[in-house]
Amino acid sequence: MTTTAQAAAPACPAHSGRDDRKSARIAEANLKPADGARIIRSFAASREILRSTRVRQAGASAEVVDLSRPDEISFFFLDGDVHRKRRAAVAGLFAPRTIATRHRAVMDRTMDTIVAKLQERGSAPLDELSWQMAVDVAAEIVGLTNSDSNANLARRVKAVLESSITRKPGFFNGLLFNARMLVHVGRFWKHDLAPAVAARRHQPRDDVITHMVQADYSRKGMIMECLSYGGAGMMTTREFIVMAAWHLFEKQPLRERFLSGSEEDQIAILEEILRLEPVASMLHRRAAEPLAGPAGMALAEGETACVSIREANVDEAITGPCPFEIDPDRAKRMKVAGPYLSFGDGPHRCPGAQVALHETRLFLDRLLRLPGIRLTAEPRVLWNAQIQGYELRGAVVACDPS
Amino acid sequence: MVAVTFIAVDGRETRIEATTGLSLMENAVAGGIAAIEAVCGGNAYCGTCRVYVVSEWRSVTGNITEIEEPMIEASGDDDPGVRLSCQIVVTPELDGLVVRTPASQG
Repeated sequence: MTTTAQAAAPACPAHSGRDDRKSARIAEANLKPADGARIIRSFAASREILRSTRVRQAGASAEVVDLSRPDEISFFFLDGDVHRKRRAAVAGLFAPRTIATRHRAVMDRTMDTIVAKLQERGSAPLDELSWQMAVDVAAEIVGLTNSDSNANLARRVKAVLESSITRKPGFFNGLLFNARMLVHVGRFWKHDLAPAVAARRHQPRDDVITHMVQADYSRKGMIMECLSYGGAGMMTTREFIVMAAWHLFEKQPLRERFLSGSEEDQIAILEEILRLEPVASMLHRRAAEPLAGPAGMALAEGETACVSIREANVDEAITGPCPFEIDPDRAKRMKVAGPYLSFGDGPHRCPGAQVALHETRLFLDRLLRLPGIRLTAEPRVLWNAQIQGYELRGAVVACDPS
Repeated sequence: MVAVTFIAVDGRETRIEATTGLSLMENAVAGGIAAIEAVCGGNAYCGTCRVYVVSEWRSVTGNITEIEEPMIEASGDDDPGVRLSCQIVVTPELDGLVVRTPASQG
């Protein structure tokens, strides 16, 4: 059997030459691993930790979450059987077949609106357009479809998420105990979630809220789950779409390959960009019991590991030579899953990974085919301390008027 | 090493030497079986590593486990031998295993 580490990549004429990363510098300057955490840099060790059943969620305030009432906390903080059951109950909503048969329609509809708006105005902030796509798709999957408008829904979700920035680091913890947050959460409940819940009680659909209604979730539980699935999906996809667009506007051969390639090839390009530009940079896990894996990874009971996604994704043992260069054929050549660890791994791997890739693919495929499309202003690379990830603001795209 | 044969939808057979202790999916990906996409990396969250265990091997590989059910259901695949290959751990007892792969993992 060929192992991934043994696979050979074509010779690289300029090994250690080109560095295509745009977010590496700001990440390096701002990343803050949890106090006392051991940083894990190799791909094999990282994957071993993330896949282990002996570790628990850590970081992101996970240590102070009250696990005694699992019905009132996000799936994000759960582990083991209860976590698996929560994830499995809605996993079908994120399956490739569901994306192709159901979510694709929402993506197409939203993109029609985005294109019309852009062609009418002539130019638009790229992150506004990507935000609209991310919000519409997440709203549909979660079931937040009874709001006065998706624009208002997005504002209220954003208000909840941004309020968390004024607190100590950690998004989920203390959400319901912060007065400012309560106002925003209250509005979200009143204008978005409660109407959706009422509608689903009357007429069930195939979405997260219907599942929660049928499983008799508490109000707190519903809010936390919606913000986890919806909020996280909206925020991260918004950034990735802009990042991928930036690379494709900048690199003509890559853009040409993207536009002439099959869906599979387009996804491979996006995954390779994401490998170098993961929106989430670190994942923390605490060993609930001693861990000693076949790849040589060992953690003592109680020890916290900080998996450095950025470093694991450029580990030459799994990338082959020239790890900082965008090479869409890399993953296939190395026989590894395309995004490497950018969506995490193990039981907590991002449930919306395929959705994010497909909406990004469709968004960029439509955008880059518009007559006269160009990037008239590059984005500023900012840092969101809350999610320990980059934000791209200020990018402007322009196209010929319709 | 354990011999496993994958039969593609066009009848083409590929035999790999699988490593015990790893999942059938991991072995398939490492062995270049293109029909195994495994986009979630082996967490039973995507349903894109489906295989059809031929009837004579089903008693050895076992039935669909609880963790596989949601994604197999979501895939709409009702082949009687369907399994998620990420949930089949390769053991010496599987030497000679034969599985078919679907036309599409979508």
